[in-house]
Amino acid sequence: MVKIYNLYIFNNAGTLLHYAEWNRTKQSGITREHEAKLMYGMLFSIKSTNKYALHFYETPTGTKFVLNTDSTAGKMTEFLKNLNSQIFVEYAVKNPMVDLSQPIKNDLFSAKLDAFIKGSSLYVS
Amino acid sequence: MADPVFFELLHAQIVKYVEERQTKDTDLSSLDTIGFTCGYKIIERLTRDWPKFKDELEIVKFICTDFWMAVYGKQIDNLRTNNQGLYVLQDNMFRCLNKIAIGKEHLQVAPLYYTFTCGLVRGSLANLGVHCVVNAEVQNMPSVKFHIQLPADCP
Repeated sequence: MVKIYNLYIFNNAGTLLHYAEWNRTKQSGITREHEAKLMYGMLFSIKSTNKYALHFYETPTGTKFVLNTDSTAGKMTEFLKNLNSQIFVEYAVKNPMVDLSQPIKNDLFSAKLDAFIKGSSLYVS
Repeated sequence: MADPVFFELLHAQIVKYVEERQTKDTDLSSLDTIGFTCGYKIIERLTRDWPKFKDELEIVKFICTDFWMAVYGKQIDNLRTNNQGLYVLQDNMFRCLNKIAIGKEHLQVAPLYYTFTCGLVRGSLANLGVHCVVNAEVQNMPSVKFHIQLPADCP
């Protein structure tokens, strides 16, 4: 079981498509947009600490998934792959109401994502 | 059969194209016409190995089962009729809507995504000799009720 903290999805231009959080206790004290920009900028330099682990998965088209969990998590590549194919492709890419150059505002997508995270065998609050 | 994703994406683009070109936001007749033409041709192909249907109920049942299976990969969930020429076909997981929303979100765009199918059904029935009016209603996405209304004087 892993504590899943939060998830960022960026498109290939660096726009934050979606942000969701589950067990995050510490807030950064800056706006979400600013935080996302920092996160995107730090992607290639940040390293895991003993407090948390940052998992990164990028598709060939440049969509980036950033998932923060506690440090007990092992490799989450398979998990993020499934998240991409079962949730992002199904309910964002195939959803005609979603414009992938803009942040996603769609309840169905958010609900499916939340259910995917909470329904995974890893999830613990 | 081609992967359903091709149909889903093409359909979404046709809707977007029609939506951008329309002058009045209630005019979806071109989507209906495209659907009609497709339905007219699809039914020709789907029924090629079938014996002639004996009545109109049998035709509607064919639409609910084999036709829906071929186009949408599932059957209609519920069929009702008042035995006076009105049939109501209910699909609780309609494929043109089930990626868009659940419940009332984006309800106002639903007609854009079911009009093609109304035409599809109308065209299929027309080629089987049943001339009718097809409408649809959505109360909760992604569930749709298609209303098939035959004229009163129709045999």
